[in-house]
Amino acid sequence: MITTTALTKSYDTTPVVRDVSLHCEPGTITGFLGANGAGKSTTLKMIAGLVRPDRGTATIDGRPVVELPNPTRVVGMLLDASAMHPGRTGRATLTTAARLAGVPTEGVERLLDLVGLADAADKRVGTYSLGMRQRLGIAQALVGGPRALILDEPANGLDPEGIAWMRTLLRDFADHGGTVLLSSHLLHEVQATADHLVVIAGGAVVAAGRLDELLASSTILVRSPDAGALAAALRAARIDYVVGPAGALTVDVAGGRVTTQVLAEVARDHQVLLTELRPSDVDGLEQLFFSLTAAEAAVPQEVPA
Amino acid sequence: MTASTSHRSLGLAASAPAPGPIPFSRLVRVEWEKATDTRAARWLLGLAGLSTIGMAMVPVLAPRTFDQSHASYVRVAALGLTILLPVVAILMLTGEWSQRSILTTFTQEPRRLRVVTAKLAVSVVLSLGGALFGGVVAAGAIGLAASSGRALDADLSGGVVAGYVLFVLLNVLAGVALGALLQSSAAAIAASFALPATVAALATASTLVENWIDMSTWNWVLEGEWSGHEPQIAFSIAFWVGVPLAAGVVRTIRRDVS
Repeated sequence: MITTTALTKSYDTTPVVRDVSLHCEPGTITGFLGANGAGKSTTLKMIAGLVRPDRGTATIDGRPVVELPNPTRVVGMLLDASAMHPGRTGRATLTTAARLAGVPTEGVERLLDLVGLADAADKRVGTYSLGMRQRLGIAQALVGGPRALILDEPANGLDPEGIAWMRTLLRDFADHGGTVLLSSHLLHEVQATADHLVVIAGGAVVAAGRLDELLASSTILVRSPDAGALAAALRAARIDYVVGPAGALTVDVAGGRVTTQVLAEVARDHQVLLTELRPSDVDGLEQLFFSLTAAEAAVPQEVPA
Repeated sequence: MTASTSHRSLGLAASAPAPGPIPFSRLVRVEWEKATDTRAARWLLGLAGLSTIGMAMVPVLAPRTFDQSHASYVRVAALGLTILLPVVAILMLTGEWSQRSILTTFTQEPRRLRVVTAKLAVSVVLSLGGALFGGVVAAGAIGLAASSGRALDADLSGGVVAGYVLFVLLNVLAGVALGALLQSSAAAIAASFALPATVAALATASTLVENWIDMSTWNWVLEGEWSGHEPQIAFSIAFWVGVPLAAGVVRTIRRDVS
């Protein structure tokens, strides 16, 4: 379990993170979404104990990371895939991490297989692509058999196949009771990976909750070649609608009473053919995200230190 | 990847017992590995060895300018050792900041004082290993000189050996202190050559600097001329090692890693 309360950090007089409170439960993947410079990395580094917060606390399983006797056994972290010694091989990097964590170094081979680096294990990290470094970083995060993972932009540099692989891996980790917190500046990446979402802009949390709730559409679009019959059927079922462009009807979900299934049943009962039936504003979160991103230009930016 | 293999792969099942703290010996071993297992580190150690060998040959090749005694040969080896060995120590402290792998190191062991102490311990091991190597090289040079028919004073004593080891150690620790303080490879290496040179230049103008701060005070350690110089030696150790190391430890503990 990863918890922060009111984490706050300024560099000089510029606020970078303001009152960020997160709560990540075991068995879930929390996406930490924000534009570049929104304060994601600084927040994660405060959780990791690398950056000292001005105010607020961060704990993992109830204890600050700096008080964990052997942190890599509890939480695996990938905060910057480029922060690895380029002169060391992938295998040496993992072996060192395993040794420090106090786990058998035989596990290194299995991890190299798991992340698809078995063939490149004896090459120096300096020759790795960013995607390979991300894979090595994920292996390093997993080396101590942790119960929680904190990953900063893990999809960066991964090809589509690698991203799919990582999603499967993280879902599997969460399904076995692990807690995952990952950051991204890409909405679609978070949508495809996470089940919980925290949106940060200008250093402050602006939206948080279950992904499906945040994504829940307030209207449903339904279309039939016979728009008149569909409208009559809806009226008979006492469902409000608005006539949209090209014969489509937009239906209010009425606080959840009306769903796509309800509409499909109405259409079936009245023998109306449907050619389209879907939530009409699935991009609501995207609009929210972009409006926040645009607004962010007016608030202080994260300064690279 | 099936669910069962990945379950085992991810190690969740095995994470039941709360692990104890990382033993200090393990930290030292890992820091030793990190300091020595890169090509750059091996090259530098190789060069440090070569410069020691090269320096040790000087009294063999120039018998008139150097005392032909065992102690003199050992001291010349020390001068060779301390050209590059402090640079190895500097890089051990600064390299992780420059490569940014310090980020990983401090997430693995967030008690930063323990990490710095482990690096300090490695540098002591490095000094002693270097001193041993220098001793072997000096013995070789002595053997070479003797085989050419030269008669050398066999004046090696416990005091000479102690002074020699301490001199090497102090030079390496000065590198550690500078690295811990500056946390940048380029700045610390430049400073490790520029600062002693600057102080030496000032020493020509001020006997106070010459006797209390200039690194030539450590020649008293090397030459075994402690008597009457203890306060000066202690002061210059504090100046080059104690104060910068303490300040470096504080800075390392407080610094935000971003």
